[in-house]
Amino acid sequence: MKFFLGISLLCLVLASVITYKLMPEAKSKLPILYWVTDPNPARELQIDIFHKWLEKNGYPRFELRVDAANCDASKIVVQGVSGVAGDIIDYGGGNQIDFYTSVGLLEDVTDDAKKLGFGLEKTYPTIGDDITVQGRQYVFPCNVSANLLWINKATFEKYGQPIPPSRWTVEDFEKAGKAFVEKANEGRKQREVFFVNSINNENLLHSLGLDYFNETLTACVLDDRRYVKTLKLQYKWMYEDHLIPTGAEQSSFDTQSGYGGPIFQMFNNGNYAMIGSGRYALIQFRKFGNMNLAVTEPPHLGYPVAGIMARSSGVYAAGKNRKLAKYFLAYLASEDYNMNIVMDADSLPPNPVFTKREEFLKPKKYPNEWGCHEMFVRAALDIAVASSRSPFVLPTVCMRHIRFYEDQFINDRVTADDTARLVTIRVNEEIERSLLENPGLQPLYKEQVEIQKKIEIYRRAGKKVPSSWLSNPFHKKYYRDMGWIEEGSE
Amino acid sequence: MAFLAPNILGFMAFMVVPLVFSLALAFSNWDIRLHNIFHDVSIRFIGLENFFRLFRDPQFLQFLGNTLFFMIGIPLGISGSLLAAILLTQDMRGGNKRVHHGLMVGALIIASLVMGGSFILLAMGGMGVTGMMILLCCLMGGLLLMGVLGGNTVYRTLFYLPSFTSGVAVYILWKKMYNPQTGPVNAALTGPLNALSGLVNSLPPWLVQGGLWLAVVLIIVLYCYGVTKLKDLWNNGAVGRIGVGIGVLFLLIPVYMLFHWCPVKSGAWLAAGVAVAMTALVLIKLLRVPDFHSVPTRGIGTALMLAVVLMALEFILIGFGLVAWNLPALAIDGLRPPDWLSDYYWAKPAIMIMGLWGAIGSNNMLLYLAGLSNIPPELYEAADIDGASNFQRFWNVTWPQLAPVTFFIFVMSVIGGLQGGFEMARTMTKGGPAGATTTLSYFIYTEGFGTGRLGFASAVAWVLFALVFVVTIFNWKFGSRYTND
Repeated sequence: MKFFLGISLLCLVLASVITYKLMPEAKSKLPILYWVTDPNPARELQIDIFHKWLEKNGYPRFELRVDAANCDASKIVVQGVSGVAGDIIDYGGGNQIDFYTSVGLLEDVTDDAKKLGFGLEKTYPTIGDDITVQGRQYVFPCNVSANLLWINKATFEKYGQPIPPSRWTVEDFEKAGKAFVEKANEGRKQREVFFVNSINNENLLHSLGLDYFNETLTACVLDDRRYVKTLKLQYKWMYEDHLIPTGAEQSSFDTQSGYGGPIFQMFNNGNYAMIGSGRYALIQFRKFGNMNLAVTEPPHLGYPVAGIMARSSGVYAAGKNRKLAKYFLAYLASEDYNMNIVMDADSLPPNPVFTKREEFLKPKKYPNEWGCHEMFVRAALDIAVASSRSPFVLPTVCMRHIRFYEDQFINDRVTADDTARLVTIRVNEEIERSLLENPGLQPLYKEQVEIQKKIEIYRRAGKKVPSSWLSNPFHKKYYRDMGWIEEGSE
Repeated sequence: MAFLAPNILGFMAFMVVPLVFSLALAFSNWDIRLHNIFHDVSIRFIGLENFFRLFRDPQFLQFLGNTLFFMIGIPLGISGSLLAAILLTQDMRGGNKRVHHGLMVGALIIASLVMGGSFILLAMGGMGVTGMMILLCCLMGGLLLMGVLGGNTVYRTLFYLPSFTSGVAVYILWKKMYNPQTGPVNAALTGPLNALSGLVNSLPPWLVQGGLWLAVVLIIVLYCYGVTKLKDLWNNGAVGRIGVGIGVLFLLIPVYMLFHWCPVKSGAWLAAGVAVAMTALVLIKLLRVPDFHSVPTRGIGTALMLAVVLMALEFILIGFGLVAWNLPALAIDGLRPPDWLSDYYWAKPAIMIMGLWGAIGSNNMLLYLAGLSNIPPELYEAADIDGASNFQRFWNVTWPQLAPVTFFIFVMSVIGGLQGGFEMARTMTKGGPAGATTTLSYFIYTEGFGTGRLGFASAVAWVLFALVFVVTIFNWKFGSRYTND
């Protein structure tokens, strides 16, 4: 028995040595860095261009590899706090940056950004709040997505319906939608054609001048008749007008194929006349052939607005190769990378300068897309606003409560008024809890609460508010557009 | 000791140390965002604050309720396993070799023709429902024939198949099956539901709604039977007064719920009136001296078993009654199959059905097979000599002999049931819709890794442990007594 155990141990040691020898680090002469990102087929080319860019610019050479197996947020956090995460970490949207920076996973790159040329001035002003936390930069965008509605013109023409305008109100949307679904589903046993896959509720809220949080991000303010209105609209579109599929109808369409999920296939098949997505949808659309496409903004309730988010990359704070990893962020701001994004249509290039190029606006191979690209840029620069995040509560926690109660409302478990009330209570409870658990936030919170009181006094008196008082990116934009900002305070 | 050392070390490292660590952290404010290699903040002891916060959380009650709801499937799973085991001990193989050969050839020909026909019908389109019914009948026939040809081995393999199939693969498969528009489950249900709605629409509404009154009458009958049985058991000394009291209380629960659920209050009053009268009669009888004395705490397990089974039947009857009452209104526009995983009210039953499918042929069935093979055949011979029917053989020989196995299966199933539900929630529903399928184990995951509050998540985990512990102790105390009796 001892002999057997001894042999087993020897075999295990031998296997470990062989495995180590086969590992990339053992074979490569250059340092190897890992980029934790999604399994997008485009990454291979992006890395290839990166290696050539390093050489072209005379930067220190190293090998970058994709690690798509660990791109789940919980894996990143667990590996990060254990000291074994990838050198460059991707995330999608501002919600995760708060979580990652509060854990301490991401390196502050504000100073390096100035030196290497990937500062905030190199990207869209509207996503500044999406890539910074309390004024410090931690990431740079890989690409930027302004979410508009893609229109399948062929589907509209098939049912003899007019193409929607580039900007429309909710009333126009409803009217056009009802006419469309009635015509499209005529004679069918069950509804198979819908006007749009979904309408983002945050956009509707913003178009009514409301956000999840107040101006200083110190409290949730959804206990408001405007939020109730948006909930009732969503319910009506889903269950009465049938413009949007219900959860059950969506799951019926689940084809589970292709990058980005099933909605692009449904859009191509004509099951959705429109889908909410960014420019990156073209990655799939181009595989379907030359689709007849147009773009429109989401319908608004008085104030046109669209959502914007950035898929960004940051440097792992405990990585051994932090200095080298920062060159990757510089690469994201470079022409080589941006033009690759332009040609691949993987959303908007992080540097808006490249959206003025002819290759972006009128790609030669895809004349069916002409007229669409500039809509996304215009939205990104004019009407888009990033989701607001409070430093006093995790966005993931906040969204969990919002989705839970909205789900309850959609399933007729609670009324719209109760949803608004309960969401507000729960999120504000989370803010209180966060302040108790993290006393370091309390001075900032107290300061912001005082500012909030002043804002409310000024608003009641009809006075303009200094811009520096506003922390909420939505309210900054809204106040500016409404002319409520004090002149010269920006 | 040297041979045990690796196992002990592994057990210590991966079981004991994490357990003790998590117990300590349940009383701390450990948050992965604040307490990690990047921050210098120390973990604080906060006493029972995590537990108080948990019990104040309104969602905790919902998730606890979901966890307990899923436990309703346990008796069904155990019954199914027992039935499967009994069936699998029967000799299914048919006649001599010539018969075998003939059956095999015949079966293959018939099966091929019918399967081919089904496929053509399905492919033609518009006959999906009929084709599905034919395919299902064909599959059932094929299974029966396989059993005749191959004997129990075929059935035992088929029954055990779900148990060793990979969990996530099964859940994804079931998710496809539950697809409201294109899934085979709804395709199979559509035909019978259409026929049912046609039948209901052709009958006068009062006739269909009379089902509610029938249910109320049956509930009264069951209640009277239960109470009478408890009284007889008390009289025989098998059950004490406390057992009778507990049993009557359990039997009264569905009667009480009739007041909340029954749309016709007179039905509820009728049931309540009869229940009160019967209860009063029994109470009067309890004041007398019984034929055989017993201590007040005797036979609580027996009384509970009887009362719980009857209570479950009463609840099922209430359900049927309510369906009968509402059926005419529902059938006007035709009856549709449910949306299963997308429907708040059907998501849990959908997962329970899937769980039942896996549980029937699981290790419980193997345990019962082993238990059945250990029953001395002399007992059956004695029962045959006494002229026992099949049911009497089962109730008086098989069931008591299987009591230790049943007890073990029940305890393990309860423990597993309280801890389960994570994989299904994560793969199939993400805990929705509206938290309908979020169990405590999924809640622990979302709290721990979604928010980083590992101290709080540890507290939830230990509350779950406490629940499992209490239930297991209860099972052990009363179940063991019942088993030994």
